[in-house]
Amino acid sequence: MSFYDAAIPPVRDQRLKIGDSFAGSVCEMLDCAKSGCMLRRNRSFWQTGACQMALTLMMAATVERSAIVMHGPIGCGAQLHALSAQTNKGKAQRGKQPVPPPWVSTNLKESDVIGGGERKLRETIEYVDREFRPEIIFVVSTCAPNIIGDDVEDIVRKAGESAAAHVVSLHCPGFKSRVVASAYDAFYHGLLRHLPLSPEPWRDFVPHHDGAAEELGKLKYEYIRGRTVNIWNATSIGPKDEDELIRLLGALGLKARVFAEYASADEMRMVSQAALNASMCDVHDDYMLSFLKEKFGTPYVMAGMPIGFKGTRRWLEAIASRFGLEEDAGRVADYEERRAREAIAPFLPEIEGKRVLLCGGVVRVGTEAVFLKELGMDVISFRAYHYDDGAEEVYGQVAEEFPDARIAVSNQLFEFCNQIKELAPDLVISHNGTQGTLAKLGVTGVQLFDADKSFFGYGGLFYMLRRIVFAFRNTSYQKRLSARVKMPYRDSWYEKDAFHYIKD
Amino acid sequence: MTSFVERPRSACALSGALSTISALPGVIPIVHASMGCGGNLSGANAFGAGYWGAGYCGGGSIPTSAITETEIVFGGNDRLREEIASTLELIDGELYVVATGCMTEMIGDDTRGVTADFDGKPVIAVSTPSFKGDSYAGYEIALDGIFNDYLRHTEKKNAKLVNIFGIVPAYDPFFRGDLEEIARLIRALGLEANTFFTPDQTFGNVRSASSAALNVVFSRVWGTSFAERFEKTHGTPFWTTELPVGPEATDEFLLRLAERMKVPKQRAKNLIERENGVYYGYFERTADVFCDSDFKFYAVTVTNSNYAIPVARYAERELGWAVLDSFVTDQLDESQKGSLLAAYDASGLHSGLLFETDSSRVAAAITQRHPQNRGELYFNGPDPLFILGSSLEKATAQRRGANQLSISFPAFNRMIVDRGYAGYRGGLHLFEDIVGSLVFPKG
Repeated sequence: MSFYDAAIPPVRDQRLKIGDSFAGSVCEMLDCAKSGCMLRRNRSFWQTGACQMALTLMMAATVERSAIVMHGPIGCGAQLHALSAQTNKGKAQRGKQPVPPPWVSTNLKESDVIGGGERKLRETIEYVDREFRPEIIFVVSTCAPNIIGDDVEDIVRKAGESAAAHVVSLHCPGFKSRVVASAYDAFYHGLLRHLPLSPEPWRDFVPHHDGAAEELGKLKYEYIRGRTVNIWNATSIGPKDEDELIRLLGALGLKARVFAEYASADEMRMVSQAALNASMCDVHDDYMLSFLKEKFGTPYVMAGMPIGFKGTRRWLEAIASRFGLEEDAGRVADYEERRAREAIAPFLPEIEGKRVLLCGGVVRVGTEAVFLKELGMDVISFRAYHYDDGAEEVYGQVAEEFPDARIAVSNQLFEFCNQIKELAPDLVISHNGTQGTLAKLGVTGVQLFDADKSFFGYGGLFYMLRRIVFAFRNTSYQKRLSARVKMPYRDSWYEKDAFHYIKD
Repeated sequence: MTSFVERPRSACALSGALSTISALPGVIPIVHASMGCGGNLSGANAFGAGYWGAGYCGGGSIPTSAITETEIVFGGNDRLREEIASTLELIDGELYVVATGCMTEMIGDDTRGVTADFDGKPVIAVSTPSFKGDSYAGYEIALDGIFNDYLRHTEKKNAKLVNIFGIVPAYDPFFRGDLEEIARLIRALGLEANTFFTPDQTFGNVRSASSAALNVVFSRVWGTSFAERFEKTHGTPFWTTELPVGPEATDEFLLRLAERMKVPKQRAKNLIERENGVYYGYFERTADVFCDSDFKFYAVTVTNSNYAIPVARYAERELGWAVLDSFVTDQLDESQKGSLLAAYDASGLHSGLLFETDSSRVAAAITQRHPQNRGELYFNGPDPLFILGSSLEKATAQRRGANQLSISFPAFNRMIVDRGYAGYRGGLHLFEDIVGSLVFPKG
């Protein structure tokens, strides 16, 4: 039985070679992943982070006309208030109705934990369907129902038969994995099992009869379909980045459509109507893209992130090659690079040789590092939040570009703080959620991603460079703040190795 | 059977415990749960309470056992023991509080047994599984662990010292400003005050709590049973009252506090006189814009139980508004509702107190009870309407052209730093924010 047939999706720990606790050279990391030692690594001290449920919600909260049922105690989903504000903006930016998804907690209490929460879940789904009339009801199965053994999938299946909405289960109990990237698979698993992914006759098209006009229409449709590429976004990817890639693929005569965040049920039915699926991040989409290949025969491309000159060219050429358009892609890239190099030239002297520490998603930091090297910056170290097989190819390139670089697989702030004290970088380009810590440490920080800003393609590389230059323009805030703020770590911590608490 | 809740305005017991623990100086939380609980919950508090932030050892800095499936199957005691030992080595604090999540309670981990192994170290455990209660319950559980279980009893009492409780960090998003103002007034009476949760406090204030002469609990619901146990443990009596917002309520509060603390009445009267002089010195000049702009409104309040009466009272008594409904959004049992209703009845206010936890039901109730004008020539309805609520009421207000100010959790459309609405200063702040929101479109 394939993973796709299972009621509950696997976490990445079951599916891939994966790890979240490592420090060493890039080559050592690749070896450690291959030999399986990455899987065993652990820490004797941990700080809180997110869980796969948190990231599953980030994706689900983007879907138009959907509602969310949180099956769990009252605390799971607390971040949805903040998330809805964020996805409302994302919807508006993409021309969609900025309406926050209603969300309802089954509010499991002690008696439910003992007696089971199935009846409550059933009633909650019925209420949400009746009260809010959403197109999709996402049923999010958290830790508690997975421990008490509620048969969430059975309830969802039965509810789906009687509800007006599509009922989509998202199984994402946090305890199953410390690595939050499993969330992407959990979200996709729900979509691929419970949402129609093909156009419906009489709704999306009129079934044709034989005849010349129909033949022509069919040919036209197939022509467009044969040049349609689905590009797969992520929470860290904003509309400006999506537009930049649509622009570049458009230059090749390809029609790009964006999935799966911010796609509605209507749009999801068209997902099968494409010639190619293209990921924008190698550790984000393999689960869904291999499903679509298996089910609809749609090939897919995973060619890193379109960041920087090399990254963007590689991404474009990988897609173009599937359409026999390599040469065109090369010419487009040449043209864009010429323009971009001209635009960035005045800024380069200001950042030359600046020492940078990078921290965030594994594929992103690797790709960003190559870009910063292109700009003439000195990348002194990397921190990747996790590692899995999907990042192998990108890190093959990283190992070539940075044969001596040290990498940490770590999402832990205490290690980050220790490294910053030890390495004293000029700049830290880091994941959202860490910028406050950076300022308290007195270092200059730039966001590794920000859904409101540009990062991808040629426009993105220019604006990223501008942000780096701007960050250096006035560093008074972090200097003044850090002089007065005490961090929670004892002084003795900074005398130890940053990875002291990693164990085999 | 309890029911589902739609867009609840409080999270689980662990969440309330975390906002409470991480707001106390020198107190370090250790979350015994899976990796995401601490981050998700403290993140929700850090942003939802007017961007309160993570603080000294909150957010991604919080130590956690980060249990996985292995511990779910084999138990998490060893992992917790290891985490506590590492935390003591790494994190600089005066007291370390282990707070549990639902999964470690369900698998039956012996958290108290584990912390007892750290004999001689300041490590305690509180049981805060999500299915035990919401954030407000978590506030009480955390207080109970720290003040009733951990603090030593002392016979030596400080006849002047007052502890302030009942104002819940994050879920009362103005908790710091409110505490500061209450403490300022208590001190102005010649007394001493422990606020615990404001930046001027140290762990010494926590230590001194058991020697206080009085606990004032500014909540009809949250903290009362904690204060009862405090009295049993430490012998300090408690007084439950409303948070005073605006001069009338604060005058009353000061007179009653002075009586309880045996402060000469004249001293309280002098203070009231002085404070009213300042208040009205500012307030009198606002009358021009307030009256010329005809800022007289019908009002609906949507708040937690702590703010319901104080805010309705301010709007009715100080602004002369017609408060129609006061929605209370926390999940309360019948006896808790009873305590709040009794206090409401005693307040002599004219709005109605309504209990509704679900956000879209609050919106529906406002629409049903107070219809909006859809073009009628002779419309006898509540117009103009002002909704004093949370960010969740913004859409409701916009739909019907009502005004709205976020004064309750979650508040995403404003930054809250040292602002509070309690007391005289707070009354001015609330006025400033209400009128500020009305004149904002002008410039």
